[in-house]
Amino acid sequence: MRKVAIVGQAQVNASDVGKSRERMLFDLCKGFYDGMGITRHDIDTFVLCSNDFAAGHTISNVFEDCPVGAYMKDETKVEADGVMAVTYALARIMSGLYDTALVVGNSQGGSVMRPYLVMDYTMSPTYDRQLGLLNELSSAALQARAYLDAYGLGDEVLDRIAARNLRNAAKNPDAFNGKADATPESVAGSDKLYEPLKQDHCFPFTDGACVLLLAGEEKAKELTDKPVWIRGVGDSLDSYYPERNLARSKSVKLAGERAFKMAGMNDPAGELDLVEVSAKFASQEPIICEGLGLFAEGSASDVAVRGLAEIDGAMPVSPSGGALGAYPLCAGGVTRVAECYKQLTGSAGDLQVADARTALAHGQDGLYLQHNAVMVVSTEEG
Amino acid sequence: MAFEMGPETRQVQGMWDISTYRYRMEGGGVRLLTEAMKEKRIKGVRCNECGMVYVPGPTYCRKCFVDIDEVVEVEDRGTVMSYCVELADVRGNPRETPLISAMIELDGADSWFVGAVVGIEPEEASVGMRVKAVWAENPVGSLSDIEYFEVLEE
Ligand SMILES: [Zn+2]
Repeated sequence: MRKVAIVGQAQVNASDVGKSRERMLFDLCKGFYDGMGITRHDIDTFVLCSNDFAAGHTISNVFEDCPVGAYMKDETKVEADGVMAVTYALARIMSGLYDTALVVGNSQGGSVMRPYLVMDYTMSPTYDRQLGLLNELSSAALQARAYLDAYGLGDEVLDRIAARNLRNAAKNPDAFNGKADATPESVAGSDKLYEPLKQDHCFPFTDGACVLLLAGEEKAKELTDKPVWIRGVGDSLDSYYPERNLARSKSVKLAGERAFKMAGMNDPAGELDLVEVSAKFASQEPIICEGLGLFAEGSASDVAVRGLAEIDGAMPVSPSGGALGAYPLCAGGVTRVAECYKQLTGSAGDLQVADARTALAHGQDGLYLQHNAVMVVSTEEG
Repeated sequence: MAFEMGPETRQVQGMWDISTYRYRMEGGGVRLLTEAMKEKRIKGVRCNECGMVYVPGPTYCRKCFVDIDEVVEVEDRGTVMSYCVELADVRGNPRETPLISAMIELDGADSWFVGAVVGIEPEEASVGMRVKAVWAENPVGSLSDIEYFEVLEE
C-alpha cells in the first residue's frame, strides 16, 4: 500500500473568532500556505469537513471552496467528525490519483449558533423529538451516570479528569478554554447543568478551524524532513438507539482494533506514546480509553489518583487539553490528529511528551459515542 | 488599505421554510405504539431470530437485519437503566424544579423507553429503581399519553 504522511497543520480556536467563516478560513489557509512555502496549486484535492445545521444553510461547503484555495480545484466534503475526513483524504492519496490533499474542518459554534441545538436535529423526529427529553447534554449525562454507577465511582472522578484537561489546555496556544489553576474543587463548583455533568465537564462552544496537509511518500519527503506517517485507521458505527451497556463502547473497541490491525500493532498500550481523544464530556474520556484497551474497565479513579493520564504518566491522554480546551464541531477530530502531529514533530511546547513516536487520534459523532473513528500515526515509516 | 472586521453581528431568523416534513409512520413503529396507548397499553415487536423486543418496534431487526412482525405487549412498568437530572436546559436557562429523565427498560422489552420520573428528589434517584407509567386520564393515541413515571414500591 502507498505510504501517506501528514506534513503540516494549522488551527484557530476561540469562543468568538471575530471574523466571518469565510474570512476565518481564508486567513488560516493563506497563513498555512505561506508558512509551508507552497501555494494552493500544490494541493491536488481538498477534503472539507463541516455541517449544514451548524452553518445554517445546506451544502455548508458552498462558501468554503474559495477561502481555502479550492477555486476550480478537485474538492469533496465530509459531514461527520474530522477523523473521517482525514481518513477520506488518506484513501484519496492511497488511490494513486492524488499526491497531496488538504483537509479543512471548521464551524462557528461559539459565535454563530449553539452546538447542543444542532444535535437536537439528529434525534428521531417521530419519537425522541416528540418526547423532548433527550438532547446532547441529557444523553451525555445518562451515559456518565451509567459509567459511574457500573463501577461504583463517585461524581468527583469527573472533576479530576476535567481539571487535568483544563490545566493542560491552558498551556496550549491553540486552545482557548484552558484554566491554569483548575482543580477538582473548582470544577465541582462550576455551574450545574445535567447532573452528574457540570459546566467544566463539557466542551466549550467554539469558533474554529483546523487544516492538515497530507502527502504521498515521495511528495511528503520533499515537503518536510519530519513527516508523520498514517499507519492505521479504523471506524465503527453503533446504533442510534441506546439499549446497550452505556458504561462501555463496543464501537470504540472495534474502531481501535481495526486501526491497530492495519498498523500491525500487537500491544497498543505498550506501543502508543500518547493518545488524543475526542471526549466532548469528561465522562467520555475513560469510556473511550477503556474501549481502546489502554486502561482497565472502570479504572477512572485509579488512573486519576496514580496520574497515569498526565503528560509524564504511563499513557498521556489528550496532553493538548483535548476537547475541553476547544472543540469546533466537525473540526474536532482533525484537531486531535493535528495535536498528535505536533507531539510527534516535537513542536508541542510545554505539553511535549518525551520521546513521542507513536500516537493515536480519536474522533466521534452522534449520541452516546455512536460513531467512533481512530487513526494511528507515527514517526516510523513502517 | 484593509477593511476593519466590525464588531457588528446580525441575527438572522432561523426558520427554514421548506414546508412541513411529512414522516411516514410504519405499521410496527410509533403507530403501533400510539394506537395501543389509546387503551393505556404498550406494544412493540419481537425479533424471532435474536428474541429482542423493541418498543417502539422497527419493521426489521436492527441487529439481525431481517424482517420482523410479531407484535407483543409489554408492561407499563420497568427498571431505570440510567438517569440524569436537568438543572438548566440546553439553551442555558436554569430550571425552577429539577427534572429527572430516565432510560427505562419496560418489563418484557429490551429496548429503552425515555421518560420523566416525577415524585422523588434527585438524590433519591438510582440506577435500577423500579418505575411505573402514569397515564393521562383520557388517552388520545399520542406519546404524551404517558404523562410521566412514578417510583414503584414493590
Ligand atoms: Zn434480531
